[in-house]
Amino acid sequence: MTSTPLTSAKTPPGTDAPRGRLRLDGVRKILGGKEVVSAVDLETEPGEFLTLLGPSGCGKTTTLNMIAGHLTADGGLIEVDGRDITTVAPHRRSMGMVFQSYALFPHMTVAENVAFGLRMRKVAATRRGKQVAEVLELVGLDGMSERHPRQLSGGQQQRAALARALVIQPDLLLLDEPFSNLDAQLRVRLRDEVSALQRRIGTTAILVTHDQEEALAVSDRIAVMADGVIHQLDRPQEVYLRPATDFVAQFIGEVNALDGTAAGGGTCEVAGRKVSATPVGQAPAEGAAVRVYVRPEVVRVGSGDQGEGLHGTVRDTRFLGSRIRCVVSTPAGEVTAALPFDARVPAAGEEVTCSWRPSDASLAAR
Amino acid sequence: MSRTGRLTRVLGGVFAALVGAFLIAPVAVTVASSLTETSYVTFPPQGITLRWYAEVLRKPEFLSSFAVSAGVAVAAAAISAVVGLAGGLAIHRYRFPGRAALETVLSSAFAVPTIVLGIGLLQWFAQMGLASSPFTLLLAHLVLTVPYAVRLVLAGLAGLDRSAEKAAAGLGAPPFLVFWHVTLPAVRGALIGGAFFAFITSFDDLTVALFVVTTDLQTLPVRIFNYMQYDYDPTVTAIGTLMVLFALVAVVVIERFVGVAKLFGADEEHKGKE
Repeated sequence: MTSTPLTSAKTPPGTDAPRGRLRLDGVRKILGGKEVVSAVDLETEPGEFLTLLGPSGCGKTTTLNMIAGHLTADGGLIEVDGRDITTVAPHRRSMGMVFQSYALFPHMTVAENVAFGLRMRKVAATRRGKQVAEVLELVGLDGMSERHPRQLSGGQQQRAALARALVIQPDLLLLDEPFSNLDAQLRVRLRDEVSALQRRIGTTAILVTHDQEEALAVSDRIAVMADGVIHQLDRPQEVYLRPATDFVAQFIGEVNALDGTAAGGGTCEVAGRKVSATPVGQAPAEGAAVRVYVRPEVVRVGSGDQGEGLHGTVRDTRFLGSRIRCVVSTPAGEVTAALPFDARVPAAGEEVTCSWRPSDASLAAR
Repeated sequence: MSRTGRLTRVLGGVFAALVGAFLIAPVAVTVASSLTETSYVTFPPQGITLRWYAEVLRKPEFLSSFAVSAGVAVAAAAISAVVGLAGGLAIHRYRFPGRAALETVLSSAFAVPTIVLGIGLLQWFAQMGLASSPFTLLLAHLVLTVPYAVRLVLAGLAGLDRSAEKAAAGLGAPPFLVFWHVTLPAVRGALIGGAFFAFITSFDDLTVALFVVTTDLQTLPVRIFNYMQYDYDPTVTAIGTLMVLFALVAVVVIERFVGVAKLFGADEEHKGKE
């Protein structure tokens, strides 16, 4: 077997199909008599960066631990590249895992930590050394190989942990809140680096986080979880602009939630006015109670009554630097708009109409 | 540095020196008086001779007692380490009936006066029909040393990140290798410390041994104790000096291989960051 450069992990020699297709089918887990994960289905594309996003206790970490094999599913099926691994022991799966606590082996040097997985795979010492050096350079830790974990900063420790996970060319890279222990600036920098690296080497990555901004920034798709179920699984823009459930809308960013009645054709009536939005999933039947979700960034505020959209009075405007926050009192309740800083700023008391593109808002049964 | 700072340092140094002197003085007296030419123990020694050391070697009962003590102590150290590891892991990892009770018993074992323990064991061994032997002595010492070993292992395990074990498993290590490469190194210091403590406790013990031994089977402390009731000659201080030397050698050997500082939980955090 020849040395495989890490950057071609997507299609290793000898296999034609790209690796790293994960499939969860009806996966369940009961812990302490409580069902913490209920029938989770998901499937990744090889090379995809998928994030399990949700508050603590939503089942995201439990799901990750079932994928890694540290917990056994109480029901359902877990497959990687068509191989059923539901009950396979963790050490017989090929998963590189990175933890919030870094989880480096404290008594080993950085190089020994990174070499661990290769030693377990009985890779010859010379080739091991070469691969370790390669991956350490990849994560920007060249020259640190003889240090012990305690002699490294948090960011460096996490890079070492990432190198240790990547060097075995895993089927899946599992990231369990890997940036949560880092300070804000470093968190953003490392997260962008990890995302760029993942794209370069093409390993399928599953990230668990409660940080919505992090999820939006790095993911190809996000699975928003709450109470053990996936509420929405879609691209970041979709999840953000067109939340499927109340939970998704409220959990990620700020949202205007407007109650109305479905009027057919992607429109609905809110407080007597016709409002357009995109139904998520099946369009609600005419006359059904629905809720419209609109992000403040997509709300446009025009002067006077423009017929369509919500008509109201400006209650308050505030300059926030990058945005201007404008709160409009309408018959459907208050609507918040985040206007670009060069927009015309309506004065308090002005009569305005709030509108948005139908594709920028979602509509869901209530 | 400010003047008060310097004063604090000087006073601190003096205090440390006094404490050190207080601890070392009895040992120094023992060592010095073992060299006296008089046939009774006296300090300061009168003249210098190694005669009493020769005397020790001429008394086979002291040598055989040393062998008993050392043998039992080594066994107590080894068994304490193994049982301490197993017990620590069980308590740390698993929830089983009686777990809390076991932990309480183990942590309050220190509170039992050794003399009470000695009396209890005497009764207990008699009831069970166990004749006095190095084995019963070992059992008695394990009652003292195992709780300590378990607690040290528990402290070591508390410092171990379970994620590190998960990481190792994910990297392809089967359970035994996870234990060998990740768990064991985390409790290595605790095991060596527990074994060391067990050895010293067993080797030094007089109270419990007094109840368990017979005239045929005497540990070194018991032998010295009995000897002193009839003869108070410098043989006793010579043996004492040899025991101190023995302990010193043990500490040096351990320091050489592990570092005594590590035994007592000090880490090399100060080695610096970045």
